[in-house]
Amino acid sequence: MRETLSGIIFLSAAKLVPANFLFASEQDQVSGNLLFFSLKEFLIFEAVAERIIGPATPGQVRTKDVGVAARADQFLAGADPEVQDQIHQLLSVFNAPLFTFLFDFRMSSFLNMTLAVKDSYLQDWMTSSLGFRRTGFQALKRVSMSMFYTDSRTWKEIGYDGMFMPEDRK
Amino acid sequence: MIVQGKEIKGPVRESADVCIIGSGCGGGASAKVLAEAGKKVILLEEGGYYTSRQFDGTEQTAYTHLYQQRAGQATDDLSVTVLQGRCVGGSSTVNWTTSLRTPDFVLEAWKHKHGVQGLSSEELEPYFERVEQYLDIHEEPFENHNPNNRIILDGAKQLGYRASAVGRNTKDCQKSGACGLGCPFDAKKTVAITYIPDAVTAGATVFANFRANKIDVREKTKRVTGIVFDEQTQKPKTDFVIEAPIVIVAASAINSPVLLLKSGLANSSGEVGRNLTFHLTSAVLGLYEKIMYGAGGIPQSAMCDEFLNKNGDGGGFWLEAVPIYPTLAGLALPGFGSAHRDRMHAYPNIGATIVLVKEIDSSGRVTVNDEGRASISYSLRGRDLEYLKQGLDVAARVQFAAGARKVMTLHSIPTEFQSPAEISKKLASAEWGTNEIAMYSAHPLGTCRMGADPRTSVVDSNCQSHDTKGLFVIDGSVMPTSLGVNPQVTILSIAEKSAEWLVDHFDQVRSS
Repeated sequence: MRETLSGIIFLSAAKLVPANFLFASEQDQVSGNLLFFSLKEFLIFEAVAERIIGPATPGQVRTKDVGVAARADQFLAGADPEVQDQIHQLLSVFNAPLFTFLFDFRMSSFLNMTLAVKDSYLQDWMTSSLGFRRTGFQALKRVSMSMFYTDSRTWKEIGYDGMFMPEDRK
Repeated sequence: MIVQGKEIKGPVRESADVCIIGSGCGGGASAKVLAEAGKKVILLEEGGYYTSRQFDGTEQTAYTHLYQQRAGQATDDLSVTVLQGRCVGGSSTVNWTTSLRTPDFVLEAWKHKHGVQGLSSEELEPYFERVEQYLDIHEEPFENHNPNNRIILDGAKQLGYRASAVGRNTKDCQKSGACGLGCPFDAKKTVAITYIPDAVTAGATVFANFRANKIDVREKTKRVTGIVFDEQTQKPKTDFVIEAPIVIVAASAINSPVLLLKSGLANSSGEVGRNLTFHLTSAVLGLYEKIMYGAGGIPQSAMCDEFLNKNGDGGGFWLEAVPIYPTLAGLALPGFGSAHRDRMHAYPNIGATIVLVKEIDSSGRVTVNDEGRASISYSLRGRDLEYLKQGLDVAARVQFAAGARKVMTLHSIPTEFQSPAEISKKLASAEWGTNEIAMYSAHPLGTCRMGADPRTSVVDSNCQSHDTKGLFVIDGSVMPTSLGVNPQVTILSIAEKSAEWLVDHFDQVRSS
């Protein structure tokens, strides 16, 4: 049963993701290494993080360069079970066409939205009159920003030189 | 002796005169006083034991190893991020060194409204002095303030507001800016390098990676049980049982009530976990032509206290500077996407001023969730919300007076001021609901409050439970009200005083 469910999730994810998003071999590799996310959740979070951090212009660090989603997977694997449950639910609701329709009259999963619509959808979550949607947006922003800017590869772009350290630890 | 979870091979069974749960300001200071008085002390710490050699100046390392929930601790609705240490030394390991005495008007309120005895300014004076001397607390000379702190000193003074240097517990500070990430130079006089080594020298044993889950009260002793963790994997290794006639809970205003609630102790008043105050904090960010580089230099060395208790109602706000580490900036800057990324590119030119509200109308509550961990709720309301608005207004004006060309708040929908003339109108039309403005706390207090009346308070003026003799709570949770200032000197002083009282009354308490 578990294998069947995994297969459905895997196929659903593959169906929802643009064809060039991840090659099958990459999917297998990612899927095999995940500690917290399902592959589908991984893809949703990766897409969310990219829009929350903001697209990179040439020469800037991309969320994929830092592996934001993979780092989030590791981070969330160590979170309290209650937090983990909430993140699973959040990603499910955030992406589901039923909820995108109920919330914003958009009959499309987040992964299938155009970039502009994704941003508009995130904006709606951030400024929603429903408190739980604003909370959900903050959760996604927290994890995305934390996973991105704790990586030293992002520092040069913003002009952060790292901390002044004792000589023997530079 | 400091024993880490990784050194533990099997179940731990120990006994002591005093078992202290939590190694921050309350637990560390209590351990030193009691051990130096010849008591056999066992000090338990849920987090790991780290020394300055392991501090690498990165947020990644610090948040992972030194903070509660890897710096992700928050209210259940994520509206307030609650930053606390989780390591030997507790929050003193990661705070920004500000060391201030309890304001007189706060101590007066404790006495008159809560019946607290023995904690007047005069009675605490020798303890304040002792703490200040022990931790090398001093104010920085003018040339040591970084540009971010100069915003307060220069801007506030230009507007005619009172502003000054704050006390700091450092010696030979290298101005690295790393206070919040663990001082790599051991310049910050944390509990981990002062009180705890002295306690250990006097015979105390510290167990790191030991999470206490329950206290059972027996006829002549108390039994603390819990789990030993592996620091690297955070997985349980084994269990422990510590028996002691006297137990001091010093696990902070978030985790002390959780332990008491799980143990079914000290709560005949129903007040355990209630009365949570945050010293609620938000900020304004100014954009400057010049380089501010808020991550470098001494992070917090100045304050503007003009508006604390200005109306005589015990409330108000206070301005301080804040270190601008990349992740903190990423989380605090409003919005998302390209606009957010553009704001991040202005990182070196950003100056930040925080507004800390001393609550008089707001409070929160800590309860226990299904996992046995803290569930935190909080509601900002009444005059406190008005003080927050007023504080942001004042802080924005201070930023402009210091030379900012643009100032913004931490609202989700960016609220930016191009000039002082725009501030009041835009703040009046801003949204203030849950998660519509980023809010923080590094000073949670009050969840096991002190008082004379057992019906309305949890511990007496010596920090002993009204209900259970030999059970003490000595940490920020005993504060009857918000302090309005950074709490470490208050907690250390009350801990030293309470522990001294316990030494003087040890036999009486043990046999009661």
